Amino acid sequence: MFKLLFKKERQVQELIFGYLDNLKKTQEHFEQAMDCYFDFGLGENCDFLIAQTHKFESRADDIRNDIVEMMYSKVLIPESRGDIFRLLESIDLIPNHFEAVLFMVQSQKIKIPDFIVPSIREFMRVSLECCDLVIRQVDAYFNKTEDIKALVSTIDSHESRCDHMEREIVSKIFDADMDPFEKMQLKELVAQMGEIADQADRVSRSVYIINIKRRV
Amino acid sequence: MTSLLGGIFLGWSLGANSAANVFGTAVTSRMVKFWTAAILASSFVLAGALLGGQSGIETLKGLTHFTSNQAIIASIAAACTVTIMTLLGLPVSTSQAVVGAILGVGILNRQLNFAGLGKVVVCWVGTPVGGMVLAIIVYKLLAAVANSMNLNIFQSDILLRLCLIIAGSYGAYALGANNVANVTAVFVGAGMLSASAAALIGGLSIGLGILTFSKKVMETVGQKLVRLDPFSALAVVLAQAITVHIYALVGVPVSTSQAVIGAVLGVGIIKGVNTIQRRTLVHILLAWFLTPFVASVFALSLDFATHLRYIPG
Repeated sequence: MFKLLFKKERQVQELIFGYLDNLKKTQEHFEQAMDCYFDFGLGENCDFLIAQTHKFESRADDIRNDIVEMMYSKVLIPESRGDIFRLLESIDLIPNHFEAVLFMVQSQKIKIPDFIVPSIREFMRVSLECCDLVIRQVDAYFNKTEDIKALVSTIDSHESRCDHMEREIVSKIFDADMDPFEKMQLKELVAQMGEIADQADRVSRSVYIINIKRRV
Repeated sequence: MTSLLGGIFLGWSLGANSAANVFGTAVTSRMVKFWTAAILASSFVLAGALLGGQSGIETLKGLTHFTSNQAIIASIAAACTVTIMTLLGLPVSTSQAVVGAILGVGILNRQLNFAGLGKVVVCWVGTPVGGMVLAIIVYKLLAAVANSMNLNIFQSDILLRLCLIIAGSYGAYALGANNVANVTAVFVGAGMLSASAAALIGGLSIGLGILTFSKKVMETVGQKLVRLDPFSALAVVLAQAITVHIYALVGVPVSTSQAVIGAVLGVGIIKGVNTIQRRTLVHILLAWFLTPFVASVFALSLDFATHLRYIPG
């Protein structure tokens, strides 16, 4: 009887977990596409992985729309609906940044000089770790399985590290003997990559605020 | 039966006005749909009137000894007063309207029980204060319980909604038990009805008022005084219900409006006094003082008019 009464709430919850699974898949394909790009450059394989990333990003939009539609059919109280809606909007910017990085590399045919590849790979690794932690944090918020506050500070320290790495890479680029146009192009790419960790940090803070807001 | 129309009219206006006090905060915080609230409130009001309404009827009928004509006049005067206030969107006290009307008729006929009246007026003051104190206690207790439970957003939403429905239904029960006396006690006093028939007719007429005309006052209580979050709404409804139920057990009909506004103020104190919209509060306070006065004037005028005789020149 109880389960029957709150069927829609359960459906929204399942859709949110589905959305998080899809986000993980988007991230995995982004990571594979970047690895492929670093190891072999642009080509058929890389294009396929970019297309796959785009496919999962589009699916994320569809799931988000389903969640919003279901929530506004009188599931949850208005405050909770608003919180979840804003949270999803914020999380959804992460796959958008993945896509933006890949499209930038693909459409502008960017070639990353060898001397900064290790730094950029490390930069990407820490950024994606931020995303992993955010997914874990959002999951913890909906399941109440982990301490959200502890995850906020871990994500924050990762994001600070990313900022530091971003500045170092940009500095290396401008110290190098390169065409100024290439320098600007690389700087723009690094800044776009930096947005991933920045957005993860913003999501993490939103989760924290939503969580403390509900305490009475 | 036609002589009871005044009482039915009063019950209807009480239902239209007072349902807001038990479900208004829940409906305006959009935790409960209006129709769910209206159906639950009218059912529980009837249950409260039938199971717990007798002692209030005994108290109110003892205030004065009316003839059937005077009983009808008092109930019509009180009903008109409450209806006018309802149309203005102000949550007034039906108890004050009824006592004001009884006073009006009593003044003209020099038959008042001042001891009983004193008890009722003291309870008028005690109701908002009680509502406020209980709201602070209930809020703190509920907050401690809620914070100790490790619930996710879905679980806490479901629990909050269920608690609001239960608290609202309890509030409706207390409303029926306490306020049915306002509607039909004068008819029991005049020997026109037995106490159980009075409870049944009163409960049904209050229920009808809730179903047909309670939406506007619900909006005033929930939105214009303090913007209530769902948790505060629960504390307010519960504090109000407990306050009114205590008075129902004591046997003094009190105002659910005064109890709920006291409770809303109590929550306002916890959350910061700035959340209270003073202008609306002043309007409501004004309505409290105006209600017994207007009802008294109405009753006095009606009673006076019934005594006029046409003398051909």
